[in-house]
Amino acid sequence: MTPSDPVIRLENVYTAYEGADRPTLTDISLSIGKGEFVVIGGPNGAGKTTLLETINGMLAITHGKAIVCGQDVRGDGVQVRCRVGYLLQNFAFDPLTPFTVEEVVLMGCYGTIGLFRKPRTEDYVEVKKALHLLGIEDLATRPIGQLSGGQQQKVLMAQNLARNPEVLLLDEPFSNLDMFAREEINRLLARLVGSGITVLIVSHAFDDLPDRPVRVVVMQEGKIVVSRECPPKEVEQVVRSAGKGALHA
Amino acid sequence: MPEKGLYMLEFIIQNNIVCHAVEAMLFASVACAVLSVIITQVQISSIGFTMAHAAFAGAAVGMFLSLNPTVCSIVAGVAVAFLIGPLSDKARLSPDTSLGLLFGICMAVAIFFIAYMQTLGQGFSAMGLLFGDVISLYREEIYVLAVICVVAIAFIVVLYKEITAIIFDKRIAESVGIRVKPVYYAMLFVIALTVALCLPIIGGLLLYVWLVTPAAIALQFCNRLAAMFVVAPTVAAVISISGALVGLEYSLPVAPLTAVLFSVVFIAAVLLSPRRRVTFRKI
Repeated sequence: MTPSDPVIRLENVYTAYEGADRPTLTDISLSIGKGEFVVIGGPNGAGKTTLLETINGMLAITHGKAIVCGQDVRGDGVQVRCRVGYLLQNFAFDPLTPFTVEEVVLMGCYGTIGLFRKPRTEDYVEVKKALHLLGIEDLATRPIGQLSGGQQQKVLMAQNLARNPEVLLLDEPFSNLDMFAREEINRLLARLVGSGITVLIVSHAFDDLPDRPVRVVVMQEGKIVVSRECPPKEVEQVVRSAGKGALHA
Repeated sequence: MPEKGLYMLEFIIQNNIVCHAVEAMLFASVACAVLSVIITQVQISSIGFTMAHAAFAGAAVGMFLSLNPTVCSIVAGVAVAFLIGPLSDKARLSPDTSLGLLFGICMAVAIFFIAYMQTLGQGFSAMGLLFGDVISLYREEIYVLAVICVVAIAFIVVLYKEITAIIFDKRIAESVGIRVKPVYYAMLFVIALTVALCLPIIGGLLLYVWLVTPAAIALQFCNRLAAMFVVAPTVAAVISISGALVGLEYSLPVAPLTAVLFSVVFIAAVLLSPRRRVTFRKI
């Protein structure tokens, strides 16, 4: 993979869930470069989360080709997931869950450490760095079940940063955060993008986006209907007009 | 006098019957208790009932075919152990539902063969599988339990990262690059194998208790999973050895007595747990 090659390249990709009688994603083609900031919008059920899980190989591709970080997703999704962070949309931990924040963040490195191996010193260093980036070092020894939803979201974000991902897939990362935490996360995302990490974010909140050109991808019924660059302030307008266009089509 | 073979606790306990019973209780309780942490956290406590009935069905079929019922019960248990993981995946069922299904099938097979044998004038007793028999054990059976204990501990030590991530959240474990399916199947298999091999010796009653209660007690005091993996087997070993010694000393049934002791300790743990403490401090 050369520096100019796209980090994510999808060619005519189709994805279907087991037992479904039609594909969830149809004929998706997308090329995303290193350090791009991509906002994925669209109505509920449009296939936004499915797109993220197709990119990291958690969902099977039935047709087409997907190359992420230079690796064929259809060949070995596990290798791709070691290099791609993915913040899931839904989580809720039992207050009695016996895991501390530090342990949960360290889990982010488990795939890269490999089977039968113990975490290395550098993994613990990465955990500390990730906790520091999110400003939650003071929570390190607290049980994750006893934290608020927003704090848990930050912990899972730190978990994804701990393995130094080349691509970060974020599914509704602001859903549990207050306005201060949102601003904080947006500043962090801007820094990550600046350092060359590609960020794809599924969101319905388009204010406070990093002050830099953003690629907007709008999805409708499992297809990409818009994919273009625009200033952050216009993202909401692009998503709205694409939605109206589809409604009147 | 200690009998020939690999000595374990004979140097401390001179009476062979008591010694074997204590060794059996120690190895089986530690094996089941370390696995109880996984069972309670992944919420598959019905694996105990299912495996017990698989062994029951195997023994019934073995009796019907004039084969060794103990060997048949182990074979049936291992066969069901292989089925649990793939069945939940292929049928898109939760592991608990798969276990419920297999439980029903095993019970039906067992009852069918018992009833059929009764019409043929042959008897079959299920009491041995329910209560086990810790006071007439052969040394080889103790070795089997010792091996199971080592296998269970080694399994957790070797795959600790993967197991803890799966316990935390299967989807998150998958998203960080863990091969969830093979580890999860291996986890179910080791649990089921332990149950299948312990059941004829220890009995279903105590086995159910060992597969849930030690972890439930540990959870009252531990905030970390690693601590639970130490506290649960330690508590289980202490209670089980005490149960065996007291039971044999006063001629009381060992398995039910130990099960009662576990219940008492669990109640005490709930009452003493710092997790339910409310602070009245103002600063």
